[in-house]
Amino acid sequence: MSALGDVGHLLLTANLWQAVLAAAVLLLLPALGGVISERSGVVNIAMEGMMLTGAFFAVVADLAWHNAWLATAVGIIAGGLIASIHAVVSIQFRADQIVSGIAINIFAAGLTVFLVNRIYGLQDIGHIGPTEGLPYIDIRGLDQIPFFGKVLFQQNVVVYAALILLVGIHVLLFRTRLGLRIRAVGEHPQAADTAGINVYLIRYSAVISSGLLSGLAGAFLAIGVSNTFVPNMTDGRGYIALAAMIFGKWTPFGAFIACLIFGLGQAIYDNNSTIHISPYLLSMLPYILTLVVLAGLVGRSTPPAHDGLPYVPGSE
Amino acid sequence: MPLGSVVFAFVVGALICLVTGANPIDAYSGLLCGGFGIACAQGENPALQVSNTVVFLIPLITTGVAVALPFRAGLFNIGAEGQLLAGAIACTAIGVQFKDLPAVILLPMVLLGGMAAGAVWAGIAGVLKATVGAHEVVTTIMLNYIAQWLLRYLIIGGPLQLGAGTSTSKPIGQGARLATLLPADNSLIIFGLPASVFRVHTGLLIALVAVAAFAFLLWRTSFGYEIRTVGQSQKAARYAGVSVSRTIIITMLIAGAFSGLAGAIQISGVDHNLTDKYFTDTTGFDAIAVALLGLGSAVGIVLAALLFGALHAGGAIMQSDAGISSNLVLVLQALILFSIAANFVGAIRKGLPFGRKSADLPPELPPAAGLMSEAAAPPPEPT
Repeated sequence: MSALGDVGHLLLTANLWQAVLAAAVLLLLPALGGVISERSGVVNIAMEGMMLTGAFFAVVADLAWHNAWLATAVGIIAGGLIASIHAVVSIQFRADQIVSGIAINIFAAGLTVFLVNRIYGLQDIGHIGPTEGLPYIDIRGLDQIPFFGKVLFQQNVVVYAALILLVGIHVLLFRTRLGLRIRAVGEHPQAADTAGINVYLIRYSAVISSGLLSGLAGAFLAIGVSNTFVPNMTDGRGYIALAAMIFGKWTPFGAFIACLIFGLGQAIYDNNSTIHISPYLLSMLPYILTLVVLAGLVGRSTPPAHDGLPYVPGSE
Repeated sequence: MPLGSVVFAFVVGALICLVTGANPIDAYSGLLCGGFGIACAQGENPALQVSNTVVFLIPLITTGVAVALPFRAGLFNIGAEGQLLAGAIACTAIGVQFKDLPAVILLPMVLLGGMAAGAVWAGIAGVLKATVGAHEVVTTIMLNYIAQWLLRYLIIGGPLQLGAGTSTSKPIGQGARLATLLPADNSLIIFGLPASVFRVHTGLLIALVAVAAFAFLLWRTSFGYEIRTVGQSQKAARYAGVSVSRTIIITMLIAGAFSGLAGAIQISGVDHNLTDKYFTDTTGFDAIAVALLGLGSAVGIVLAALLFGALHAGGAIMQSDAGISSNLVLVLQALILFSIAANFVGAIRKGLPFGRKSADLPPELPPAAGLMSEAAAPPPEPT
């Protein structure tokens, strides 16, 4: 009972919710990428690898140029580049998108550590520390609001960017012509093609966008949160983002709510000194919750109709 | 096609080496030495290298089967890793709890216990697929991570922990251990080394029996026929009177048992306790490459497992001899997967002027193609 009491006390602190939002954003960015990619009909289980790639190249750039903004840009582009492999393989070559996604994740895990060795001469464990981190910005005035000021307006710059992206992507998908096209391509590519929509172009852009967003999350992780690169530092976050996307029923705000729930688990984990539950048991929660959702206990979660199916022009 | 994919991967891997200033010849001769004991630069013992490769090969065969069998039913089991961990955990728990029992009772108990745990782990995904249509790819990913965190809990602060501050479990009893193929005797010299350094164990025989059982089940039993029918077309299977949901669940249970066996064999034959090494274990993911590269056939799986076992064993030698990170092996593995999935080799052949015309070629679909065709279908009706 004391453990529950401790958690209850922890839930009332602004510090916790500040951490929840930051942890949620780390999951939200790749989850948004997943939403865009899968809405266009390309299954994406490769956010983990794209994030890791972004994290690594952001650190490399940061060490080279000592500029966090430049480093973030490099991380984003690196994420986009590795996503374009997934795009070419699964759209152009019509490969199985799950195999391609697994390959991306293995490729990223191997390549980053291989490059740590090639570039810095370190064997395997490449604990590299960048010099410049992404800044935390307090929004003048608003940060003085009790409780909410600390939670919402004393955050890393990436958190603000992610919240803007969340709204932007929601509007894009559900309130614009382009969004309608993306969803049409994911639901019924033949009909979309007939209506004059370039299916391949939409799918390429969507998959590469998912890489850009995951790359940003990776950069945030490496030079905003942890200020280091260690092998496999994403530690399953790309897969939790995948879970959040499904949990949120392939919608941006649904995914965001899932990320907040999962982020809460992460924040409690990080504040474990005050509670007495095994952090490892807490870490299972996102995955168990997602299984529960998939089991249909909390309403069905149905993917876009043509998610995972390569488009062959002229097919019925 | 599988061979072409391997060649493709090694060519691209060599290019990656060249671009990053590593010598691909050094890299690949390191792999060759560590994998097969050939062309060793620093006087490594060839027999020892082969022995190490075989130790890696054993779990790759059984997990390879665990991925290949569901493929035939149109299911993509990417949860072999979680099932392996479940098997390893069950094996350890039983082997620690009943450590004083004689081998004749305890050894079957730990192996069967591991199989049962793996079966349950995969069975969850099977039941969810068969009843509510939850995609097995997603559920098995979730189950992988649940198993991983469960393992961390159990050996760090949990009931299996050896002692405070450690991240290992208590060791399993002597009776729960698989014997090595060579006598564990330091005075006996074989191939110039004491026999006890060769870790090849009797799990090899179990793995070979398992892969033979897989082929028998698939091609010589009526259930194997049902699996293949469901994989070809769920509609046709239903029309032929096959219960699709029953087939899905049983296929996943069997697949999980194979993965669980791999985990149990690793504990019983190699490690004798759970360690933090299992946090970063990738056998269940390598198994996907093994199943795809082996084209889902028994012989193919053994050959592909041999290749990946050799790559893993070779990576260590490449790193120590040539100073090139063993992670190059992961890069090669990913390239093989890309190549198989996208059929780059077919595309290259079509593009070459002296290649066969595309019309002459049979449609070269990757073994996993068509898996997704059922993905968006509604859950199978209960029959």
